[in-house]
Amino acid sequence: MTSTADIDAAASPRENTRFKDKKGETVISVSGLTPGAARYSRLFDVLVVAAVVTIFGGAIHLHVMLTVGDWDMYVDWKDRQYWPLVMPVSMIMFPAALQAIFWVNFRLPIGATVGATALLIATWIGRYANWWIWTGFPFTEGVPSQALAGALLMDMTLIVLRNSLFTSIIGGFAFGFVFWPSNYSALAPFYLPVEHQGMVASLADMIGYTFPRSNMPEYLRIIERGTLRTFGSSVSWVSAAFAGFICIFMHQLWWRLGLFASQATFLKNSDVVKSFMGIKSSVAS
Amino acid sequence: MSGDALPRMANVTVIKTFDIHCGLFAFTMVALTILYISARLYQQAFGFSMGLDANSPEFDRYWMTLFRIELPVLYGAGVLCWSYLFLTRDRSIETVTPETELRRYFYLTMWLVVYSFCIFWTGSFFADGDGVWHQTTLRDTPLTPSHIILFYATIPIYLFFGVGSFVYAMTRIPAFCRGVSLMHAIAVVGPFLILPNLGFNEWGHAYWLTEEIFSHPLHWGFVVLGWCALALAGVLMQIVERFRELIPLVFKQDAAGSPTDANPFRDAWEKCGPEAQRQRYKPTSVSGRRPISGKSK
Repeated sequence: MTSTADIDAAASPRENTRFKDKKGETVISVSGLTPGAARYSRLFDVLVVAAVVTIFGGAIHLHVMLTVGDWDMYVDWKDRQYWPLVMPVSMIMFPAALQAIFWVNFRLPIGATVGATALLIATWIGRYANWWIWTGFPFTEGVPSQALAGALLMDMTLIVLRNSLFTSIIGGFAFGFVFWPSNYSALAPFYLPVEHQGMVASLADMIGYTFPRSNMPEYLRIIERGTLRTFGSSVSWVSAAFAGFICIFMHQLWWRLGLFASQATFLKNSDVVKSFMGIKSSVAS
Repeated sequence: MSGDALPRMANVTVIKTFDIHCGLFAFTMVALTILYISARLYQQAFGFSMGLDANSPEFDRYWMTLFRIELPVLYGAGVLCWSYLFLTRDRSIETVTPETELRRYFYLTMWLVVYSFCIFWTGSFFADGDGVWHQTTLRDTPLTPSHIILFYATIPIYLFFGVGSFVYAMTRIPAFCRGVSLMHAIAVVGPFLILPNLGFNEWGHAYWLTEEIFSHPLHWGFVVLGWCALALAGVLMQIVERFRELIPLVFKQDAAGSPTDANPFRDAWEKCGPEAQRQRYKPTSVSGRRPISGKSK
């Protein structure tokens, strides 16, 4: 009788002397695929990865652009009140759905990271090719936000807890909450106060004044209103915490949508259609 | 292509009866890349220099001429392609061999890759370009240099491949002929509806001054329809499920005698018996986590 230690030894490339490969053949062997099947299976993997990266990169970018794009496009729109709130709430949607698709169907805890990475790459391609090369907006004005830190935390939560509800509560909250601090290091210089015409403004505001959007020069960030007037203090964390709270629910909602979208559902065709397409009625029935 | 572009593995012997051809797929991807880059270069060259005044003769010459050419060409090509696929449908689809069916699943996947590629250029690259155009200039017509490329060139291109993938699957793959793939329909119809939603968008921009705020609710129709891209995951799941059934049927001929067919993990697993198997996958109580089995809740 084989012991469990033998199974572990057989499954371990380090212990298994029969498979001293350098190209992942042990994995293929464990999968039970024949050599020809493994070759075409790998080609199929390449095609699927190409489809996933391009379609979700495009769809996520379109989604973020048209729901909260203004806050992402300009540094002077990255305020303390709305930017830390609306960006993660929009950004979590597709990563949460991808997390469900990858995890439930393939046990791959990478969905959120894939989504956030695809979004960042797609955004930077647009920033460079369109915003800089075509219209000359400086990068300092158009630096995009990133959600990689939150996505990694969300995937890590899923690995540890293996449960969508707790991933929503802990990982979803972390996604929203760390958005502000994880972007702060890149944006801190733009929050320095400067005096402009006798009033206090931020460096980001000055960039907005200097490089106006020529279609509508009045297109400036929505000036925040409130009573906590400290310059870049606790109000940012209040926004971050509120974003985390909403992200909890948004994650669960989009996890469910991801599960729905990955259903392999066929609706039955009528016999007329089937026979018209080449299936004989006896087979069709 | 017989898979030569893939990294070669030692001791691989591919059976002679199964092969797929990727030449047309590779050509399409290269041609589309050249087409999209050319379109962007055309915008760079003539967008601001010839495209700011819709009433000017140069606008008519450089942009309306392109508009008048691309619409009939792209939609005409689509109708021709879809008609060809339908008229050459497999009329004895129920007798298709596993090799042919697997080959067609590969080709369907290639259709979907090209469709996804076009979605990326449209939804991300040229939509972003449309945004930067509207942040920079005031529109005086729905037919701006960015719209003429985005709405009337790149959207018909992805419709070509989206509808083409649907017709291909329905006319050549038994499962997609016996029933309509719900997710395939959503993944094609959703992005298709972006085109009629354009009417709402342009109507709103014609009568309301939105100051070109990009996240204006006027644009949310595009967003909701873009969500339908998620349904491509369902199509890929359908392909994967059938793929798993077909692979052993098609490749059973080369299963014996190959060094990599030996599977020590599987052998050890089968020999150890049910008690050791249960012990191997006993849930750990350290973190209270559950074993990987079934769906997460």
